[in-house]
Amino acid sequence: MAYEIECKDVTYTYPLSKKPAIKNLNLKLEKGKLYGVIGENGAGKTTLCSILRGFAPSFYKGTISGEVLIQGKPLSSYDEQISRKIGYVFQNLFTQISGIKNTVFEEVAYGLENFGVPVEEIERKVVDIMDLTDIMDLAEKSPFELSGGQMQRVALASVIVLDPEILIIDEPTSQLDPQSAESVFKIIKKLKERGKTIILIEHKVDLLAEYSDEIIVLHDSQVIKMGETRHVLSDLSLREHGIQLPQVTLLAEKLRESGMRIDELPITKKQALDLIQEKRS
Amino acid sequence: MEKTFTEKIQINKRNKIAGLYPATKLQIVILFSISTLIINSIKLTDAKLALLLIPWFALVPFMFAITGEFKKSMKSMKPIFVVAIFIIAVQTFIVSGGQTLWHWHFLSIREKGLQTAISLGFLVLNIAGMFTWMLQSTSTKEISRCFEESGMNFKVAYIFTSSLEMIKVFSKRSQTILDAQRSRGVETEGNLKVRAKAFFPTIVPLILGGIIGSEDRVLTLEARGFSIKGEHTHLFDLKKSGYERRMLVVSIIITLLIIAGRISLWRMK
Ligand SMILES: Nc1ncnc2c1ncn2[C@@H]1O[C@H](COP(=O)(O)OP(=O)(O)O)[C@@H](O)[C@H]1O
Ligand SMILES: [Mg+2]
Repeated sequence: MAYEIECKDVTYTYPLSKKPAIKNLNLKLEKGKLYGVIGENGAGKTTLCSILRGFAPSFYKGTISGEVLIQGKPLSSYDEQISRKIGYVFQNLFTQISGIKNTVFEEVAYGLENFGVPVEEIERKVVDIMDLTDIMDLAEKSPFELSGGQMQRVALASVIVLDPEILIIDEPTSQLDPQSAESVFKIIKKLKERGKTIILIEHKVDLLAEYSDEIIVLHDSQVIKMGETRHVLSDLSLREHGIQLPQVTLLAEKLRESGMRIDELPITKKQALDLIQEKRS
Repeated sequence: MEKTFTEKIQINKRNKIAGLYPATKLQIVILFSISTLIINSIKLTDAKLALLLIPWFALVPFMFAITGEFKKSMKSMKPIFVVAIFIIAVQTFIVSGGQTLWHWHFLSIREKGLQTAISLGFLVLNIAGMFTWMLQSTSTKEISRCFEESGMNFKVAYIFTSSLEMIKVFSKRSQTILDAQRSRGVETEGNLKVRAKAFFPTIVPLILGGIIGSEDRVLTLEARGFSIKGEHTHLFDLKKSGYERRMLVVSIIITLLIIAGRISLWRMK
């Protein structure tokens, strides 16, 4: 069976840049999984996602080598319909709205209009997605008058409504307060339950620890570690590359240093609780 | 039964003039502007003043009234009135040439001055007034649908629409801020410095965001199928009010009458 996304030794350099922004990238992403991407600023996370969507090189130009396959077929063999296969939510909040629609309802509907979906179907789909992303009460508000958290949910809705099988989401919570961040993660969880393959760039490792299946760690344009979430996030050596680890992991490490026997470091509160319970009995 | 969202975003105007198809409104404005220029070339009295422009201006508030938006439109004419009065005052007293019509200490009105004052002042009032009528009675949404229906390139249409939308957001936002400050007792009326201060913090990030974000914006649109070929759906259905033909015919007749009048005046000489 083909992988949902596969990269074979991909190296990409932006125009006018001497050094590749992504080097020797090899990935095999499976359908229905949630992949967390972490790494310091400038490590190449956004570039990695642009490569998966094809914006690098089709929009940014530059040079690319290697091969990107989407569901077994080369990315270059897809036409504009790729927008319905791969949804992309960008890093910058305020450029996510189209700027030409008066209401959130119309904003979310915009993509479907472009794809020529019949009116009744648009209404039905948009209502369904507004419900999922909890923005129904904003439907008649102007997209220009939203708070950060609301805007992010509208941006998510506008992309999800196209029903892409693969979703790329670039730092959706970096400009949000903790509560809004949590609500965005809840939406992402629901999307996963709908069987989407999700690639999520995110700094909040505590949230990633809870929600993602696998983690990809980027450092200096290269993947330095990749694998099952607990395996990656309990790797203390990642701290040397400026990567934060979950709070509970650090706490457990302290306990271990002070003499407690811990085989596998926990990364979520639940795992930590299990560990404590086990120690008590 | 509860209305669907698609039904809610439709624009249903009761007033047939307000509901005219935007392109028809533009045609009317153009005809009116041509007529205004012709009227401006008709000079009355010994001082050769384009006096007919003054009664002709009555058509602007008349249009506001039959569109059912008299108050709102008059309010947005305020800055245009200010500009026109300024032009008239400056031109009257400053431009020299021709006979002196009136004189008091250092102030004097010369023929040339009064001519340009009336012409320029009322050209501005008439033409800007009619554009105000069009813009006040038409929403961005209608204009943008009209662009698309006229077969304009979709990228150009996008730029037009987003600019119009931006202007609307800017002016609304600055007004909100001024209102908020006024209610807190901050003096905003007239004081330019306070106004600028109130304006700056909101406008700057928006403009900067607009410039820096343009690359991101292109990709955002792309990710939503902006440049997809083939038939697009339009949830908003731009309707005609049914008065398009009538209004256009009346406008054309008036314009033709004015042209005829102009020609016969030449003949008489
Ligand atoms: N459009 C671009 N043109 C040239 N260089 C870029 C561009 N975007 C990013 N880069 C460079 O590529 C590297 C990786 O950037 P990026 O993928 O945005 O990192 P991250 O998302 O991990 O913060 C950085 O050194 C950055 O300066
Ligand atoms: Mg980035």
